[in-house]
Amino acid sequence: MANAAEREKQLALVSRLKATFPEVPEWPIPNVMTSDHYWAYQKCNQDQGGQLNVAEPFLEKEEEQWELMTYALCEVLGWTGIWVSEERRRIADVDMGLAMYLGLPYYSRWLWSVGKTLIEKQYITWGELTDRLAEVQARYAGGLKGRLPDAQPKFEGDGSKVKRNGAHIEALGKGDPGMYAGKAGTAAFKVGDRVKVRELPAMFYTRTPEYVRGAEGVIADVAYESPAPEDETWGREDVTPEWFYIVRFKQSELWHTYYGPEGDTLQTEIPERWLQAAR
Amino acid sequence: MSDHGHDHDHDHVRTVKPMVDEITDFEVLEIAMRELCIEKGLFTAEQHRIMTEYGEQIGPTPAARLVARAWVDPEFKKLVLTDALAASKEVGVDWLEPTGFGTPSDFYAFKVLEDTPEVHHVIVCALCSCYPRPILGNSPEWYRTPNYRRRIVRWPRPVLAEFGLQLPEEVEVRVVDSNQKHRYMVMPMRPEGTEGWTEDELVEIITRDSLIGVALPKPGVTTNVITASIPAIRPIVQ
Repeated sequence: MANAAEREKQLALVSRLKATFPEVPEWPIPNVMTSDHYWAYQKCNQDQGGQLNVAEPFLEKEEEQWELMTYALCEVLGWTGIWVSEERRRIADVDMGLAMYLGLPYYSRWLWSVGKTLIEKQYITWGELTDRLAEVQARYAGGLKGRLPDAQPKFEGDGSKVKRNGAHIEALGKGDPGMYAGKAGTAAFKVGDRVKVRELPAMFYTRTPEYVRGAEGVIADVAYESPAPEDETWGREDVTPEWFYIVRFKQSELWHTYYGPEGDTLQTEIPERWLQAAR
Repeated sequence: MSDHGHDHDHDHVRTVKPMVDEITDFEVLEIAMRELCIEKGLFTAEQHRIMTEYGEQIGPTPAARLVARAWVDPEFKKLVLTDALAASKEVGVDWLEPTGFGTPSDFYAFKVLEDTPEVHHVIVCALCSCYPRPILGNSPEWYRTPNYRRRIVRWPRPVLAEFGLQLPEEVEVRVVDSNQKHRYMVMPMRPEGTEGWTEDELVEIITRDSLIGVALPKPGVTTNVITASIPAIRPIVQ
């Protein structure tokens, strides 16, 4: 299909895709690597709060049919115990890397995470996916000609032997996090306590935003008990739930350059492992 | 094309079919995986249909109804602020649907943030796009963008001003980042000029944007701030 010129053209395109600091050469040798650059690379892509951005127009868009189908696909996989949504968030928001995170449409990352999960959890093989992609492409080769693209499963498989998590059964009637109520013991903090967000060397996944790490705030609410997202994201079901807190911060303390009124605040939710008592 | 004088044979080969008639890479991937999941028994076509229908019917109407009723009924307002999940049921939203434990991505922990003369709330998920889908529908595109997520937590007043909302210095702007399992929506204050209005009349001015916190309800305003919408290539099939 692709001739030599087309192969070169695509390689030229890929060569322009940048994913590194421009001031450092690609494949840096260790002695040019600084710790702040290292942690910038380790940072979870999805943690966008506080990064610099010029103002741009905010837009609405109409949803594509495949976007709705993607939403349904991901949610039905949660319903039937193939994953919990936190696994999807890590794969679709972090594991794919910054280039794809910022370069692909929102729901296409959800879609990507399904393929990655199904192969990694050994529900399908790489060959099964690739063959099916080629088959679907071939089905619509030459254009849609008025057809709406849709799935045509050849049969409905027997789901009785499929490996599933326990959460999708345990949560019935209680919901998540209600299913973990009473399992975290005594809460370490109460409403009004001053706390400091710990500065943990977090790799691979977290939902404690970088913009509050090291900052002090006040417990606004003792929220609920749940496994931490840093465990749920790997599908761990053998971990002890912990207390989550809504912590309120003063904007003027959170940001060195906050020029708004002194009274402005921000709240975010943080699991106990990330908090320590402050004076 | 007007420049037919040039040697464009190569381009003609590649543009001979109209783009819109081609299946997209996203559609191919979604279809392939849905087929494989059903064939492997991961879920049934029936379960997929139920989830799709659920996703099609969610929208901001029940959220507006919830706020309007809270405005006219002090007892209901108490319920909204102490047990928002129970209050949601009263306006037709059971957060345990459609699975018996809720939608996997939205959890079962919902709070309504009450605006007062002293405090104005605005919601964001700086980490992804967490949003109270069961009662507010799917999030608008701008809510999901890195731009909104980067800036609203750090420059809330300038960002709100871009939506046309300027608040007095005495009002505390409280940004609520729904970064874990709680889902939030804002209960704005009932505006002046709505004295004697019925619940149905009030619902009309409680826009989705006012429930996110980037706008305030106002008599005569029944639409969101941004009304222009970029069309889909192949929109949702009704």
